[in-house]
Amino acid sequence: MKSSSPGTGSSPSVADSLKAFHEEKAPRPSSDIAVWLRLWGFVRPHSRRLVIALLLVFVGAGFNLAAPLVMGAMVRHATMRDRSGVFRDGLLFMAILVARKVSEFAQRYLTEVAGARAMVDIRKAVFQVLQRATMRFLDTTPIGRLVTRATNDVDAIAEIFRIGVVSSAGDVVSLVAYVVAMLVLDWRMSLVAFLMMPPVLVVAEVVRARGRRANVDLRVRLAQVNAFLGEQVNGTSVVQAYGRVDAVMREFDVINRSYRGAFVRFINYLLAMDSLLQMLGTLCIASVLLWATLSHGVSGAQNPAAAFALVVTFTMYINQFFEPISVLAERYPVLQTGLVAAERVLQVLDETELESDTPPPACGEDRANEAFSLDHVTFEYKPGVPALRDVSFVAAPGEKIALVGPTGSGKSTIASLLLRLYEISEGVARVEGHDVRRFGRRELREKFAVVPQDVYLFPGSLLSNVAMTDPRPDRARALAALERVGAAVLFRERVNGTLADDAWLDAPVDRGGANFSAGERQLVALARALYRDAPIVVLDEATASVDSVTEARLQRSIAAVLEKRTALIIAHRLSTIRSADHIVVMDEGAVVEQGTHEELLVRNGLYARLHKLGFRGGSADTS
Amino acid sequence: MPDVTPPSSDLGARPPTMGRLFRRHLFAYILGGACLLASAAALNRIDWLSKAAIDSAFGGNTGRAVRASIGMVALTVLAFVAAVGSRYFIFSAVADVEYDLRRGILAKLHQLGGSFHRTMSAGDLMSRMTNDVVGVRATFGFGASQSLNVVFAFASSLQVMFGISWRLTLAASLTMPLVAVTMRYFSRHLLNFTRTNQQMLGQLASLVEGSLTGMRVIRSFGLEERELERFDLKNVDYFQANLSLARLRALLGPILGLASAASMLAFFWYGGILLCRPASVPGAITKGDFFAFDLALTRMTWPLMAIGSIYSVIQRGRACFGRIREIFDSVSEVRDSGTTIPNGTGLEVEGLSFSYADRDVLRDVSFRVMPGRSLAIVGRTGSGKSTLAQLLVRMLPTPRGRVRLGGVDVCDMPIRELRRRVGYAQQSAFLFSTTVSRNVAFSMDDPDSAESMARIRDAMGAAQVLREALELPNALDTVVGERGIQLSGGQRQRVALARALAWAPPILLLDDPLSAVDSKTETAILEGLRGKMKAHSLVLVTHRVAAAAACDEIAVLEDGRIVARGTHAALISAGGLYATFAKQQQLEQETPEVGP
Repeated sequence: MKSSSPGTGSSPSVADSLKAFHEEKAPRPSSDIAVWLRLWGFVRPHSRRLVIALLLVFVGAGFNLAAPLVMGAMVRHATMRDRSGVFRDGLLFMAILVARKVSEFAQRYLTEVAGARAMVDIRKAVFQVLQRATMRFLDTTPIGRLVTRATNDVDAIAEIFRIGVVSSAGDVVSLVAYVVAMLVLDWRMSLVAFLMMPPVLVVAEVVRARGRRANVDLRVRLAQVNAFLGEQVNGTSVVQAYGRVDAVMREFDVINRSYRGAFVRFINYLLAMDSLLQMLGTLCIASVLLWATLSHGVSGAQNPAAAFALVVTFTMYINQFFEPISVLAERYPVLQTGLVAAERVLQVLDETELESDTPPPACGEDRANEAFSLDHVTFEYKPGVPALRDVSFVAAPGEKIALVGPTGSGKSTIASLLLRLYEISEGVARVEGHDVRRFGRRELREKFAVVPQDVYLFPGSLLSNVAMTDPRPDRARALAALERVGAAVLFRERVNGTLADDAWLDAPVDRGGANFSAGERQLVALARALYRDAPIVVLDEATASVDSVTEARLQRSIAAVLEKRTALIIAHRLSTIRSADHIVVMDEGAVVEQGTHEELLVRNGLYARLHKLGFRGGSADTS
Repeated sequence: MPDVTPPSSDLGARPPTMGRLFRRHLFAYILGGACLLASAAALNRIDWLSKAAIDSAFGGNTGRAVRASIGMVALTVLAFVAAVGSRYFIFSAVADVEYDLRRGILAKLHQLGGSFHRTMSAGDLMSRMTNDVVGVRATFGFGASQSLNVVFAFASSLQVMFGISWRLTLAASLTMPLVAVTMRYFSRHLLNFTRTNQQMLGQLASLVEGSLTGMRVIRSFGLEERELERFDLKNVDYFQANLSLARLRALLGPILGLASAASMLAFFWYGGILLCRPASVPGAITKGDFFAFDLALTRMTWPLMAIGSIYSVIQRGRACFGRIREIFDSVSEVRDSGTTIPNGTGLEVEGLSFSYADRDVLRDVSFRVMPGRSLAIVGRTGSGKSTLAQLLVRMLPTPRGRVRLGGVDVCDMPIRELRRRVGYAQQSAFLFSTTVSRNVAFSMDDPDSAESMARIRDAMGAAQVLREALELPNALDTVVGERGIQLSGGQRQRVALARALAWAPPILLLDDPLSAVDSKTETAILEGLRGKMKAHSLVLVTHRVAAAAACDEIAVLEDGRIVARGTHAALISAGGLYATFAKQQQLEQETPEVGP
């Protein structure tokens, strides 16, 4: 037994496993290129906009290239005292300016629209995948994480478009164009201008590389800070009860402090990079001046107007040259974040376990005259931990089956398997005589009306909740269902409505049904089942969590719902159990005995013993 | 504990204000500001040197031109060093502000306690601790340093520009008011649109969350398509919000660019004309003037464009700080002002009543738990059991004079002392993302010592979870909790119970600790607890009769009142509510012993 020995020997291993846990980072299974290709799949339907945007980028780059030349000409004309030349250049420059900005707007907007549209599709794809994910997957994945994938992570991808992936392409082209233009204008001056670049760029590269590492480090630590805080928010009462505030504060201090250090390191690299580029720009301009001084100042006789114009043009090119570079430097982290987010989103799309709708080749054979049945069913949620073991029973049409047994004996699991929320490991579940895998899931589930113990209400109205399976709710039918379960009076009173008025059907339901009591939620669920009018009812009886008045009301409602239907009842009340046609007694995932109430009593087994012990004339029996 | 400091001492006793946080780091800001000033001054000198270089070069004075150019290079390096220095000073202070704020909020949160969640949801709190803190940081960092930078850069540029030609300066400044107006307009709308955008995203997120939470219902009733339709609507709504924002953002850059380029054009045009004038005509400028003016004007472009974003960053930071202040300004319902140290562990409750808003939860509850004895408080959901438990340890505002420990009113003793004596383990078995053994050892200062390890294993054994925990991938060193391995509900509860047992306070107060544990295990655990009860008192809050039966005395709580008291046998034979519970639960609790 490793690491379980007490004493100092265990502490490194604790530290190790905590360290491994905290520092564990998702391995990057796919290359950036693969991620880009997948993203492109979503963007392609909207790529017409991107192509136009790209063309506009090149147009804009052309304008950027032309502007310093026009300015230079203006200066040359000015130095030569050619006023009309200055005027013409001014007009030309103005035209270029406006055209450039119009194309910039169009390009940015088109890119963002294309991105936003692609994100709509990605979000939809994620949501669709989640709707089809297996329950097993949903049970084991934190919901918050999945919500983040569908919302914030997709937004992070959208940021790539917002900051302008497209204009980056243009920027790269511009950079090359500037260099070419400068070389053409005066290759010697160009060389001098860029003389300072190699050493500074080497430094910049070092700073950039360190900055990038610092950024990764910063993210990891920020995630730690947030995770810790998130947990503290939820666990604050435990911390208080155990009087561990000071210990927790000390623990947080370590994380908070290391985050602080990472932040300072990162920001220093980031800002140093920024300042470096600024310095480089000024250094290049100083070099140009120095060169102009040495090559033109000495001879002086050469054309000074042209020489000065050239210096001005070069200065503008140099300024324009560094602008996209610093923008690129700013965009880079956003791009990285976007790619990481994309990877996570793609992981949900690719690796989510989906429910399959194709029936397997080896389905169980059909049986006649069954409403539903389990045939030697074994099932496990977690490998190696069976939740059901070799369970068999049959319900004939119209029969009411009661499942009886302690918490965790597998009663609810049986209901889930009949609805095929999970796949059975061994054996066959049948509904209407057919293996559940032969049905389409939808077709299968339409045969059931489920009344869970813990009812989930959707935000909306009472009507939309009762008639939730119906795209066009039928008021009359919903009203009838609510009246049949005896809830109409209650809900009408809630809004002080008059008897004739059915406006109370539109009473709002908050998120999770928070404005309804547990008993009221049950009533809504029962009305739902009636409205749905399915041949089989699955009912998980409420336990002692409702008061006795509500309980009596529920009993009557349940009787109404069960009338003339086949039912599977996870039973807690003796009255229900006794009136069932068939009782299945479960323990630890296995059926221990089954039969009618009378048969089981005669059998004199566990059920009989329980009955003798505590249930004769049980007070919960309200019938 | 000697190393304990009052949690909020870092930020002072009063809730922090932005001004106070700023003043705390005033020195760093002054140093940073001085560096920025030096950098701006160097850039100013560079402009003037460029004028000298050009004029000398084209005037034939090569030596002077070369000296000026070399001077420019030296000053550039100086400006760089100063800029890096300014950022170092300012951003170190910013990191401190962020550090202090996070720490302060966490400390405040723990001071406020769990009941604070009733007024602020966990999601809301988290967003304040993360997003809003970042918003405040941006104000102290980007906002402050760029504000200084703008002032110095303007001063430095304008000095050059006015020094060369006031006419040209005016011409080049014509578009500035336009820029300022545009920026204000855009930042206001940008803020509004961003807010709408965030709201839409929030709605989308809550729809996805609701859908995932209710997936079982959705599947059972075949509502998948309805969910997709609902999602599509919100998805498109969010897209529309995205577009409005995109349009604004796409416009902002070009308009600002246009304005600044227009000022460049005005300069070139008018500057060209001035350059044409013979040197004798007033207003004429030299090539060097023209060049230096160009450099100075270019230098102003960025700070000018940044004004808008600086403004909105500061606005946003103030809004964020306001939201953080709401946490700091919250007053805890429970005041920790007592000083009496209790001397004894007898727990007495007398005439305790409590209500939330206008709803009475507890009415005139009285009981007594002597050292070494055990009491079960039994009742159905909503009978007030958990409220009662929380009042005993002042997790809620306990009324004065109603609960006494060792003869001392719990309101008169330091909360720390109270909770050290009454160990409260609650219903929701919250585990932290750390190893199993660290979770169990939550109450210990030295979780790795041999003695602690023995206590941990002992407690886990008593809670019937040791065997299962040893089967985990890394045995007791397996990381569990929110971000670790997900234990089953029952396992979680038993680990939480082990945490309480390892603590072993004089009085153990367990609030429904076994609701997700199967009955066989429960019986085994209760057997184990019997041994513990000899040395300690136990208050067990439960809805399960089988659990209550193991206690010396049982109090039955119904609608906030104690309706019956006695031993298990006495209450069963009395045939009241307790006996009803017993019958109702028999089937659930009794473990079948024989197979078919």
